Amino acid sequence: MHQIILSIGFGIVTASILSMGAVGFTLQFGVTNLFNLAFGDVMTIAAFVAYVVHNDAGASIWLALAAGGAAGMLSSVLIARLIYLPFMQRGTSQFAMVMVTVAVSIVFNNVLQIFSGTGFYGYALLPQASVHILGMVFTPRELVIIALAVVCMAGLHLLFKYTRIGKAMRATSDDASLARTCGIPTNRVTNFAWLASGLLCGLAGVALAMDLGTFSATTGGSFLLVIVAAAVFGSVGEPYGAMVGALVIGVASELAAVISPDLKDVVAFGLLVVVLLVRPEGLRSGRVQIRGEVTR
Amino acid sequence: MSIALQSYITTLLVYLGVNTIACWALNLQFGVGGVMNFAFILFQSIGAYITAVLTLPQAQSGTYETYILGLHLPWPLPLVGATVAGGLLALLVGAFALRPARRDFQATVMLVVSIIAETLVVTQQGWFNGASGLYSIPQPFASALNLSPTAYSWFFAGLVLVVSLLVYLFVDRITGSPWGRRLRAMRDNPEAVESLGTKVSVESLKLYVIGGAIAALSGGLLVEFIGAWSPAAWTTGETFIYFVAVIVGGLANNFGAFFGAFLVLGVFLEVPQYLPNFSYTNTESAIQSALIGVLILVFLWWRPKGIVPERRRRLSKLAMSTASAAAAREAGTSAAAGSARDPLSAELVRNHRRVPRGVVRDAAADPDLAIAVRDVAREFGGVQAVDGVTFDVPRGQATGLIGPNGAGKSTALKLIAGALKPTRGQILVDGVDVAGWPASRIAQLGVIRTFQHTSEFAQLTVLENLVVAAPGQPGDSLGGALLGRRHSRARQHELLAEAWELLEQFDLTKHADTYAGELSGGQRRLVEIMRALMAKPSILLLDEPMAGVNPTLRLTIEEHLQRLRDGGLTMLMVEHELGAIERVCDSVVVMAQGRLLATGSMEELRSNEEVVSAYLVG
Repeated sequence: MHQIILSIGFGIVTASILSMGAVGFTLQFGVTNLFNLAFGDVMTIAAFVAYVVHNDAGASIWLALAAGGAAGMLSSVLIARLIYLPFMQRGTSQFAMVMVTVAVSIVFNNVLQIFSGTGFYGYALLPQASVHILGMVFTPRELVIIALAVVCMAGLHLLFKYTRIGKAMRATSDDASLARTCGIPTNRVTNFAWLASGLLCGLAGVALAMDLGTFSATTGGSFLLVIVAAAVFGSVGEPYGAMVGALVIGVASELAAVISPDLKDVVAFGLLVVVLLVRPEGLRSGRVQIRGEVTR
Repeated sequence: MSIALQSYITTLLVYLGVNTIACWALNLQFGVGGVMNFAFILFQSIGAYITAVLTLPQAQSGTYETYILGLHLPWPLPLVGATVAGGLLALLVGAFALRPARRDFQATVMLVVSIIAETLVVTQQGWFNGASGLYSIPQPFASALNLSPTAYSWFFAGLVLVVSLLVYLFVDRITGSPWGRRLRAMRDNPEAVESLGTKVSVESLKLYVIGGAIAALSGGLLVEFIGAWSPAAWTTGETFIYFVAVIVGGLANNFGAFFGAFLVLGVFLEVPQYLPNFSYTNTESAIQSALIGVLILVFLWWRPKGIVPERRRRLSKLAMSTASAAAAREAGTSAAAGSARDPLSAELVRNHRRVPRGVVRDAAADPDLAIAVRDVAREFGGVQAVDGVTFDVPRGQATGLIGPNGAGKSTALKLIAGALKPTRGQILVDGVDVAGWPASRIAQLGVIRTFQHTSEFAQLTVLENLVVAAPGQPGDSLGGALLGRRHSRARQHELLAEAWELLEQFDLTKHADTYAGELSGGQRRLVEIMRALMAKPSILLLDEPMAGVNPTLRLTIEEHLQRLRDGGLTMLMVEHELGAIERVCDSVVVMAQGRLLATGSMEELRSNEEVVSAYLVG
């Protein structure tokens, strides 16, 4: 029992990282209709930028986290502007676009490897006394990560609910051409979506590297599929669904790790497969279906 | 030749052969059918593993090598077993990975499967000896032939050549068949293929199984040559190297796939290994992999069709000559009968279809009703797009469906066609309730639709766009494709002649060999209408057939629709151009805000205040 409560604690930390990643991923998909498989590699870039800022330049880890977020934003906007959008404007088909994102992922991953080698890196962090909450054990840093995720999710909620740009994003996500006809500057909305999702991606990348202790050029890429599992679980393109998906997959995979650490990813992927078997387009498929039909 | 050179050449030849076979498999799936098999390497490697465990004797207890089976079968049984295993695994994976409609979702699921499989093979020591893999796999006939290593290599290269030729004949039959054409149509627009009566998921699964089996065969050959196989030989990333090869070589072209295998897997990846003073460090292999990514981007941008692009099938000459021969025959018989034939008459559009299995028509149903929509509703996330609508489509008449924007007209049409499932209500087609049926099954009843956004098969020529729509073609199935061209030729000629006549009617013969994607918007509409006619509809559903069409072409379309109506074809047509509706349709159904507003002739509706105000307000 004690072990299970402990695992739920770990699960909440994983879910926090996962939620930033999954919401970022799903935001990109929702607004741009692009299944961006290079997302994980942008996370890795952010983790390395934070490494340089913290370990090499000696800034605090929180400043490094912010730098990682900024790096995520910048790289996301750059790939979108320089590669994805030109291809999409040319009318490249949906499935050729997946190849494009895979190609970008391969390039990023290997360029990172050229510079970093196959070695593992870790932030120089001092050990901290742990905090006990309801039988769960956290380090103060983990608590900050959880708080960060909560702030991000609450911020997104406010953004979607109360701001013009947030509402415009929802409208674009529902039906981009209709939104354009209604006078919504979809171009600006798309840019904003890349910035916001890039920020979440960068934060998730640094948080993941902090949580794992060590990371390498392939860390983000291998975590991407867990993110995709969370996003699909909550129906891709649905930020609130992604939050739920992150929580379920984060906690379930840590619980499975109690039985065997090997099961961690298997459970996440197993959930993905089950969801696709039951509801091929994701659990909360209503909204996504509307978009699918309109864009056809 | 020195021995070193000979062994270098034979090794390259074997690799080229094996990789070409693999590229053909992937080309069939991805280039021809549009199935993005991101688990491709898994199928090659299952073939290698199964070949190994079928060739090796039982694992000795007490040694560190553990594996399943160990049947010690004679050649070629291990290869056969590997091919079957590859097909079975593909069946298993494809059964759920192909369920989502979006191909990027499918691809992601396959990627996940590939990674899970990689993990399992490493951790399950008992399957294929875990991370260390299988080794000392005897080469076929090695002991019987008793050749020198060099001579044996030449022998094996010859063996690979023979198998490659067999595989080539196999894939060539498929790509050249009517089924191959349907697969290419599926790649270009799966939804439109579905609307013509083909269940895309089933055809994709067949393709997935065939590709998986061939990929496994290639892996089997490879392991017989190199004698060892381990997880290090097949990381998920290698899948993308095969993708690069077929993209660079040329999609949907078997020579292109061969060329890509030669260029990417042979020259780009193998040659550096044999350069003097070159050895792979991590940095160099990372550079090489990064270049693979760059290569994908470069080709998708500058040469998306690859170095050897898909062959354009020019069929216009054949179509024209068969059509004129048919016309001459016709003239002979009709001179006797004394009647000229209008190809757009009811004769052309009469229903040639078989009723799908398990469909029982209601004998009590009103024979004059083609479609009866009864209290049908559809909700999208809380919005009632269609809210309890009831109307009739009488047989042999043209019915218009109009209403202001957002009235739910197109949604209603999609509900009838099965592209959407109603949340409640009945849709009776010839007395059969088809509510909730898949689109392909409804199409098999003869209900054929056109799309609001043009949905041509862009990479098929105009003639191919038409011919592909005809139901029940010999050779339009996996089995039929393998019977060869002779089996399907006669019917193909008939269909080409038929399509040519339609092109003459619509004055598009000069574009017969043009790729449909290169036509203007209006011409694409025409192609879509002709394609729907080739499908022999008993009921034609038209979703804004004149949207985005210039005024001259609108008139042409209108005339054709009038002639179809006069020929007795049942039509339901959504259109904003009310003049056209008035001239084409016998009666009109008006919808507003998801509900039925009125029905009647255009004249009656004009005096209906509710309808007028709905239009003025809407």
